Amino acid sequence: MPDVCLYFQVHQPNRLLSYDFFKIGENAVYEDEAMNAEILSKVAEKCYLPANRMFQRLVEENDGRFRMALSISGTVIEQMQRYRPDVLESFQSLVATGSVELLAETYYHSLAFVHSNKEFDRQVEMHLQKLEEVFHIRPRVFRNTELIYNDAIAAKAETMGFDGVMAEGVQWNLDGHSPNFLYRAPTTARIKTLLRNIQLSDDLGFRFSDPAWPEYPLTAEKFARWLAACEGDVVNLFMDYEAIGEHQWADTGIFKFWEALPEAVDEAGLQWVTPSEAVELYRASREYLSGSVTSWADSERDLSAWMGNVMQQEAIEKVHRLEAEILAVNDPELTATWAKMQTSDHFYWMSTKGGTDGSVHTYFTPYPSPYDAYIYFMNVLADLQIRLRRAQEQQGLSV
Amino acid sequence: MNRLRVLKLGWEFPPLINGGLGIACLGLSRALAKLVDLTVLVPRSSPETDFKDFDLRGLNQLTLEKLKAAEGRYQYESFAQVRNVPVFLDPYADDGGGGISAIHSEPPADDEIAFSATTIKQLEAFKAGELYGPDLGGKVIDFSKVAAKLAMQEPFDVIHAHDWMTFLAGVEVKKATRKPLVVHVHALQYDRAGSTARGWIYDLEKYGMEEADCVIPVSRYTGDIITTHYGMNPKKIRPVHNGADPVEAFATKKKFPEKLVLFLGRLTSQKGPDFFLETAARVIAKNPHVRFVVAGTGEKLRPLIESGAFRGLGAHFHFTGFLDKEKVNDLLSMTDVYCMPSVSEPFGLSALEAAQFGIPAVISKQSGVAEVLKGALKADYWDTELMANHIHDLLTDDHLHARVAEQARLDITAATWDAAATKVMKIYEELIR
Repeated sequence: MPDVCLYFQVHQPNRLLSYDFFKIGENAVYEDEAMNAEILSKVAEKCYLPANRMFQRLVEENDGRFRMALSISGTVIEQMQRYRPDVLESFQSLVATGSVELLAETYYHSLAFVHSNKEFDRQVEMHLQKLEEVFHIRPRVFRNTELIYNDAIAAKAETMGFDGVMAEGVQWNLDGHSPNFLYRAPTTARIKTLLRNIQLSDDLGFRFSDPAWPEYPLTAEKFARWLAACEGDVVNLFMDYEAIGEHQWADTGIFKFWEALPEAVDEAGLQWVTPSEAVELYRASREYLSGSVTSWADSERDLSAWMGNVMQQEAIEKVHRLEAEILAVNDPELTATWAKMQTSDHFYWMSTKGGTDGSVHTYFTPYPSPYDAYIYFMNVLADLQIRLRRAQEQQGLSV
Repeated sequence: MNRLRVLKLGWEFPPLINGGLGIACLGLSRALAKLVDLTVLVPRSSPETDFKDFDLRGLNQLTLEKLKAAEGRYQYESFAQVRNVPVFLDPYADDGGGGISAIHSEPPADDEIAFSATTIKQLEAFKAGELYGPDLGGKVIDFSKVAAKLAMQEPFDVIHAHDWMTFLAGVEVKKATRKPLVVHVHALQYDRAGSTARGWIYDLEKYGMEEADCVIPVSRYTGDIITTHYGMNPKKIRPVHNGADPVEAFATKKKFPEKLVLFLGRLTSQKGPDFFLETAARVIAKNPHVRFVVAGTGEKLRPLIESGAFRGLGAHFHFTGFLDKEKVNDLLSMTDVYCMPSVSEPFGLSALEAAQFGIPAVISKQSGVAEVLKGALKADYWDTELMANHIHDLLTDDHLHARVAEQARLDITAATWDAAATKVMKIYEELIR
């Protein structure tokens, strides 16, 4: 019977103001602070605080047998430090139990890997430093933004010193094999790839609260039986933390389910492991080829959620094009402002997809339409460029 | 000599809709009111607005009581006229003819001007919904019926109808009263839908112009279209340029160092926003220190945003969405060059407004305002290369910039609504002579 490896993503973006043309050159504040503080607080009350309390209790009640991992983006850590230090303390307390592992990622939850190797390095390093400073932990497993992955990212993570890297277990790469094993990317020596079990993860992340789902209502016992019936070494359940209490409210019974799951898993004879424990315990069974980029977003499971239309492509390209000039000016505030604009959510909100995926994009967007998201973003970028030029002139840098 | 009495039929009217038609109707009405007794009949007026100089009546404001009261005052004349009119006034009656009201061959007793259920429904129609909603055709017909009935009640010498929505009403009133009809053309289906445009709106335009005693297009450009695409006799066509109400022009220092080129208008094919984008791409290729701003909204907004992104113009090509008058003026106050690449623009009032802000304009040859702004730089709307060269020249040659702006200032001093009203007055006098 396989082990069970659980990881939750914790992230909040910095949403931009409705930054119209008339603000360009005049308004150096880009973020809607009130909205960002309000959403953080709302999610904290519905998810972060009660879920942290619950998991801390579960860890204590199970004498450390229940284990899990969190990946907490740099942007949400900053938001908690700024608006809700109590929420950050709650995470610190959970991590201090020793049963909750942290993962490394890009500080700004960005698509930097796709656009700039150098910026990617910089952001991963920043995130490691932040985790060291806030949690006194150095992660051993890397997960890229939204599980964006290919062979090159695995190789890159290895050279950065990580033991494991996460990916979406997509059918076209698995080619009939099970995601419940560890894999090895080509041109890597020892790093292991952990693949998300899409079916079982999404049962908990999305379908749990859907009354039209034939398995509704799902009980912890039933789910533990499904896990026990799986082949392989480890079942990877990866999802957003906000699936507990925010995407699926408390009245769906989601908290009761999670409260009961550790014991049910225990009774089914299975063990919980963290990603780094899984990497330690099991060998990579075979090679996993991913020449093209995969992710856990939308039905395409590729980059189209952020780079599918021309608005997204232009916006993301224009941000990254500023890299050399921004870093040359070496103004910490300007650099941070620029880097926060790389957060993947900005591009996610510009998606014009329809259907089920489209409605997920719509659920998360703070703007009336993807076109507004694009216009405000580009106006902010125009203002940022003006500030950049002023800074360059002050420093006598050639333009 | 008694003042001439004019019945004007309009559609949109400020402050309810601030499209070009409403603004032009208001401007001309104010100036004409100095010369004639003017009654303006529109489908809808705002209850808060009262124009001192002329009588504005919105059908939405009318109550049956008011109609009856009006009837009482004008009973004799009305019915004296009605008596001479065959009962064709309700050619579209939807109640089987049984409800035809108000038109009797003999004066009714006392206050008995009975408006039918149909009329009441017609009046109700103007209190709700959109002026240009999906039932526009129905509104046009209802307006013509009610207007014709109302026209029975008050004396006037000339009917003056503005654009196709009121042409049917104008013709009905003309038939009912045998007064001369002037139709004023602010925009044509040709402008909106291209040279192959046909259909019921085109037919209505043509019918209105055929039945009219005189056609006033807002430019020679539009006059030529009326001759060539609607087959009207050029002798009946008397172009009168719009005026521009003076605005309080001011200058604002831009918050950014780049020059600003402005497009202002509805984002429809007719206004040529695609050509503006194309032009912008050409200018930016030569000179990246320019911002192009598209102010307005419409069906072309989203495709235009996507085209701009595709060409990578995003950080130079900005969209403001719909702006109110105050914001438009803010924008004008910081604009360096105004660009109007319309595919077909009967007039183009916004170019005059820009001129009042001392902004030189680059405008398409397919526009009426090109006849007024003699010094503006012109190009065919499709010639984005020339358009881009003009813009580039204005942005880089301060002397040229000043010269074009100065000529525009001279041109607009002559372009007043009083001048327009004087010309229209002359046409009236010829018609009733």
